[in-house]
Amino acid sequence: MITGTGVTKTYRQRGSILGARQVPALRGVDFAVPRGGAVSFIGESGCGKTTLGRIIAGLETYDDGDIVIDGTSMSGLGHRARQPFFRRVQLIHQDPYSALNPTRTIHQTLSAPLALRARQTGRSRSWTDERAEELLSLVGIDPGYVLPRYPHQLSGGMRQRVVIARALTMDPDVLVADEAVSMIDVSLRLGILSLLKDLRVRLGVGVLFITHDIATARYIGDDSELYVIYRGQVVERGPTETIIAEPVHPYTQSLLSAIPVLHGLERPGEEQVVPTEALDEGRADEGCLFARRCPFVTERCEHEMPVLGRGGGEVQRHACFHPQPRSVIPVGAGQ
Amino acid sequence: MTSTTHAPGVRIRDLTVVYRTPAGELPAVRGVDLELVPGTITGVVGESGSGKSTLALSLLNAVQPPGRIAAGAVEIDGLGDVLTLGGEDLRRTRGRQVGYVFQAAQNSLNPLKTIGKQLLDLGRSHDVADPRALVRDAKVLLARMGLDGGRVLDSYQHELSGGMRQRVGIMLALVLNAKVVVLDEPTTALDMITQATILRIIREVHEERELTTLVITHDVGAIAEVADGLAVMYGGRIVEHGPVRKVLATPRHPYTQGLIRAIPRLSGDISLARALPGRPPTLGTLPAQGCVFRERCERRLAVCDTDDPVVITRNGRSVACHAVERAAAVAMRKEYA
Amino acid sequence: MTVIINPEGVADPKASPAGTRATLRRNFWRGVWRVLRRKPSRMAGVAIIAVFVLMGIVGPLLYPANLPRDDNALYAPPSLAHPLGTDFEGTDVLALIVTGARYVLLTGFATAVITVTVGTAIGLFAGFRRGRWDTLLMRITDVNLAIPGLPLLLVLSTVWKFTGPLQMGLVLGLLGWGGIARAVRSQTLSLRERGFIEAARGLGLPTTHIIGRELLPGMAPYIAMNMLIAVTGAVYAQVGLFFLGVLPFESNNWGVMLNLAVFNGGALTTPAALPYLLAPLMAILLLTLGIVLIVDAMDEIFNPRLREE
Repeated sequence: MITGTGVTKTYRQRGSILGARQVPALRGVDFAVPRGGAVSFIGESGCGKTTLGRIIAGLETYDDGDIVIDGTSMSGLGHRARQPFFRRVQLIHQDPYSALNPTRTIHQTLSAPLALRARQTGRSRSWTDERAEELLSLVGIDPGYVLPRYPHQLSGGMRQRVVIARALTMDPDVLVADEAVSMIDVSLRLGILSLLKDLRVRLGVGVLFITHDIATARYIGDDSELYVIYRGQVVERGPTETIIAEPVHPYTQSLLSAIPVLHGLERPGEEQVVPTEALDEGRADEGCLFARRCPFVTERCEHEMPVLGRGGGEVQRHACFHPQPRSVIPVGAGQ
Repeated sequence: MTSTTHAPGVRIRDLTVVYRTPAGELPAVRGVDLELVPGTITGVVGESGSGKSTLALSLLNAVQPPGRIAAGAVEIDGLGDVLTLGGEDLRRTRGRQVGYVFQAAQNSLNPLKTIGKQLLDLGRSHDVADPRALVRDAKVLLARMGLDGGRVLDSYQHELSGGMRQRVGIMLALVLNAKVVVLDEPTTALDMITQATILRIIREVHEERELTTLVITHDVGAIAEVADGLAVMYGGRIVEHGPVRKVLATPRHPYTQGLIRAIPRLSGDISLARALPGRPPTLGTLPAQGCVFRERCERRLAVCDTDDPVVITRNGRSVACHAVERAAAVAMRKEYA
Repeated sequence: MTVIINPEGVADPKASPAGTRATLRRNFWRGVWRVLRRKPSRMAGVAIIAVFVLMGIVGPLLYPANLPRDDNALYAPPSLAHPLGTDFEGTDVLALIVTGARYVLLTGFATAVITVTVGTAIGLFAGFRRGRWDTLLMRITDVNLAIPGLPLLLVLSTVWKFTGPLQMGLVLGLLGWGGIARAVRSQTLSLRERGFIEAARGLGLPTTHIIGRELLPGMAPYIAMNMLIAVTGAVYAQVGLFFLGVLPFESNNWGVMLNLAVFNGGALTTPAALPYLLAPLMAILLLTLGIVLIVDAMDEIFNPRLREE
């Protein structure tokens, strides 16, 4: 179980003569990834979802707030003491081509972390080869074929499965999948998604799924939770199916409206929302962050910042003064 | 811009492009016939190794070694067979008659020059007499796509967002009044909202300027949003071609059916969605004879191993599949019995 | 090919780790051979280098310790007895070239090993650690780069007689690692951002593993190229020093030959000593050519994708 409260991160951008500019990447994000659960972060690039994923995987630090892993607060620990905790969270990169070392065979790639694991858990060296085969079988590829090969000899889908197998060598509690299918061929994407779903059930490993394609978030489990992030703030969260079917925040509605409609197979939703202007990061932060782009903006939105409603469990929450469910997603043409 | 020329038609006939490898010359595109109807947007969808990018390059006769156009013709109205052009004629054609928006426009711009300077370079290499008019046209185009022309022309590539670069790429392809436009993966690596904007722009500009457009992508959704016709490529062959709505509603080729079933969607029953078994072919793993898709096909017949299915066209829809053909033949026999 | 391989040509994954490693090594050398055979120029390069290496190893054994002189044939033109003519005291020039190769090659090799080892180690460490270590090591590198090599060598040679090729190589090597350190550092900086390095850190793999097993192999073609080029640089440097006459003429050496041909034989003004001048020049040229022809193959040798294709 990993929880975060008020996680904040600000980047300092140098360049202007007037000194460093503060660029907020995360503005006090609360989240929880339950054991074996699934959580998706969605939003546009630069919204902070990748930064949050990297912070949770221990690859970046946060400025404020706290992350608690299995009851231990990370804020109270030094860099070294945090490492064993963050090792329970493994990141799966977007690009399976750069995530594997081109000069090493898959056997070499897997045996290095497995040897480390064997030392940590007091197992013998011979266990590593057994375990490598076991893990590759678990992610659905033939160990005999893959082990002696170099990454360039494998397809994108296979590489991503090897990357997942490598992440599993550390027996993680949570896998952070950052755009893990966006570079995979369309016909193979569902295979990777159902593998992640499958691993949740079989190993009890939690999945934190980061994507800009909301549709893929549906496929990691129907019990998953969705966080919509805009400019470092969670603007809507709740059960994935509920948010997709009945989004109330205009930003969520814009994201869903933008998804291409398979004309002929489905028709567009009736109340599609299109933002009034393009995203501009360097904007003043007064009022609602989405106000300038929101078609439903009112006087209040310009001056006051809405906060994510508090509530527990299976409820939908939003940060909007004028929440209004709209039917924006495509519906089947047959209906 | 008062252009009296109408959108030209493009006919690709029996095009074969081979790549030289240690294992001999292997076809990346094989025997492709494709007609781009004047004034329409044709979408070519395919996965990695389908040969779609090679097909797009052939339209400009720009296949680079070790690739080689081995056979076929690409006829563009008013130009003739592009594949017979060479040297200066070919260079002039690119940009003037055929505009090309490169895959990931962010890499096709020179990072050391402002967009305006690159525009002037383009004008100079095509002997544009009036650079001012060129800049004016560029600004009009950029404004049409919702950008501040003056600001964009003074910018360097790194000062523009992904969506802006893509629009600059479209501007550079159209500013010399090309009437045939090829867009290679125009929405890859863009965010959803930006992607929707770019797709809308492609559609609108296409109509306003009376273009003949070819969109190459791996994203069926993007094609569904903009295209009139959809051609599905697999293993260097076009396996299905027809009006986009009809192909999506009633796909006929087993690959098209599998591909559409594999798309993650917002609505519908997720338990019906399935990944295609197997993996996309590469140049080296393509079978030398028989159907290119048979390894992953659920309707595989004995004949698929030996004979390459021919493209059969009925009622404006083309399919290359033995199983589909056999079923159609049976249905027809029943009808006439 | 004379190597016997297992019939499938694929490593057996069930084999013990040691067995797998042996298979990998065998596959690597087979790949190297395949890469070299791809272009005739590379084979020519290999042949040239092989001849020189052979010269360096067995050359001095072919001749007596003191080469015979022939007072009747001073500066003799090329003939059957003396294919490259003779020098000022009637010694066979070919014999001088062959026996002189060992000194030149040993120096070149020693220089290359030292340059590459020091340069790579410093570059890797600075690039991977960044921060304070990076700043410190790069300042040291700057100092190294700023040392004017030739004047320093001239000064050094007055106080220290470079008695053997290895000492010579040591000095040249310690003077020349700066460029490689800088280049390796910038390669490391770009490689360390790659996904697989980050993954290795996320897995908690030790730093030695990350630097030695993950980073280093990716830079192998680059390092190998630099090493070969360092050999040519070292050959030029030492031959130059001998030519200038700042080092004692202790043994046969191509540089010494050049010096004597020009300053004693007047090769620049009379044709008699011309073969004596041209022979060492051609030897240096050939050696450089051989190296340049092989450098072209390094990228393919160390990149598994290019090697296997």
